[in-house]
Amino acid sequence: MPRSHMNKVMSLTEAVQEFVKDGASVGLGGQNIGRCAMAAVHEIIRQGKRNLTLYGCNLSISMDMLVGAGLVRRCESGSGNLERFGTTFCWRRKVESGELEMEDFSHLAMVSRFLAGEMGLPFMPTKSLLGSDILTYTSRGTQKKFEIVDNPWNPGEPVVLLPAVNPDVAIVHVQRADPMGNLFIEGFSTHEPEMIRASRAVIVTCEELVSTEEARRHPERTTIPFLYVSAVVHQPWGAHPTSVHRYYDYDGDHINHYQACARQGGEAVQGYLDRYVYGSKSFADYLERIGGPARLAGLRASMQSMTRIP
Amino acid sequence: MPAPNGPNGFTNQELMVIEAARHIQDGNVVLVGTGMPMVATTFAQKSHAPNCICVVESGPIAPEVIPTPISVSDPKIMHRAVRLGSKREVLGCILQRGLVDVGFLGGAQIDQYGNINTTVIGDYRKPTRRLPGSGGANDVASHSKRILIITKHEKRRFPAHCDYITSPGYLFGPEGRQKAGLPVTTPPITIVTDLAVMELTRESRTMQIIKLMPGVQLGRVLDSLQFAPAVSAHLTEVELPTAEQLRILREEVDPSGVYLKRDGAAGE
Repeated sequence: MPRSHMNKVMSLTEAVQEFVKDGASVGLGGQNIGRCAMAAVHEIIRQGKRNLTLYGCNLSISMDMLVGAGLVRRCESGSGNLERFGTTFCWRRKVESGELEMEDFSHLAMVSRFLAGEMGLPFMPTKSLLGSDILTYTSRGTQKKFEIVDNPWNPGEPVVLLPAVNPDVAIVHVQRADPMGNLFIEGFSTHEPEMIRASRAVIVTCEELVSTEEARRHPERTTIPFLYVSAVVHQPWGAHPTSVHRYYDYDGDHINHYQACARQGGEAVQGYLDRYVYGSKSFADYLERIGGPARLAGLRASMQSMTRIP
Repeated sequence: MPAPNGPNGFTNQELMVIEAARHIQDGNVVLVGTGMPMVATTFAQKSHAPNCICVVESGPIAPEVIPTPISVSDPKIMHRAVRLGSKREVLGCILQRGLVDVGFLGGAQIDQYGNINTTVIGDYRKPTRRLPGSGGANDVASHSKRILIITKHEKRRFPAHCDYITSPGYLFGPEGRQKAGLPVTTPPITIVTDLAVMELTRESRTMQIIKLMPGVQLGRVLDSLQFAPAVSAHLTEVELPTAEQLRILREEVDPSGVYLKRDGAAGE
């Protein structure tokens, strides 16, 4: 590891330059409208990293924006959608047109694959998927999706084996991290703990940068120790317009705005990206464009009404 | 979907939620997604099943949901949970582990064997319409002791065979789940719609109409399925909601009408 274990703090520009390569497999954190690593995704789009394969459980707005920017070749996940806000339209359009490879699993199946990856195992068994068409159909480009074996301890009982996933890089946004890369995830953690530990590199953006002394004082609060983490970027509001537990609520108006553009496709998507991503010099600039401090204060107040900020 | 206001002034959509909730018993562990399953489970908790435990795939365990979450990652679905964990904990250590009593799902297509399609309309590699995919639904249908499905009743949603089986019902008949090696071989499956209640029979494991919504004629339900279902010899009408049930639903579960439309306009 070229950098000191003690300090992995860098800018998002540097982190994406160093750890996201063209053709990379990228594990995306977050789910639906919660804690998606949007600032990092903006930077990947600005740097035009192409030919990406995306892994996740539920892939939502972060995936859809990368697809809309034309940077994604393939997805492997359990779902693509934004629930009440509708489907992931850029993704849907490109899957339907055949421009994007999509390989389907269930959410537990994807978690199981990350679980194999994080434990250094080649595969993981599951009892999901049996009898379903998830095992009947494979996408173009899939070599071997699964194997069904007989349980050696209970002959006659089929068990599905799924291949491990070890993404080249995982992109996550968390509440707090220290310069070493010790992560403190609060609230729901979805597939992130397994995915982070399975990934060859990890870029973390965080709401708050805390001291390593804090980790050493309360080690039981560390969700993920530094060993897996490559870059730590202090980026408050880095999940906007998705929510961060105890910090801010999701921005429904902005998600609706994105969805309207994504549904329309073509110039509308390009216009969105021009205005909010390519046209923003930084994520701070983006935050001004979406409504600035007044808008953000409302999102914070909304979260505060549901959870108390420590 | 026209939803006639009955003498108590309720919609069939509201009664659909209340009827689905009646299939949840006090103390059940229920794995729910958002939308109608969450609305119905929250209603059950606030009415006849205060000790029913809700688990959500994104990580929340036993939350006290506040109105009205629109996503499994909505902060409103996390409220006062005893733990906000991970997908592995919920889908692996609770669901696959065998601790879920009721798996509560919706679906784009539901066929006569109770199989659900949320993946694709048409050919998988050349889809007419690409849908979101399994999410946790395949896992829920594979591992829950009982499966409860709630959906708006439209003919296009009820084909004889799904274009793609995302989540297993009985696959192709009574032995379907057993032959496939699914861990739960004979889960009761109930489908509640705004027109009727259907169950899979023990004998053929195909759909049978057991109840009709008040004022709905059998012929209309038959016309709204792309296969010929069995009809129970003891066909009854869904029990009317009480004023208190409607109050809970409207004032406590979905007060701003995110999912429930008072005028009978289409909701989910």
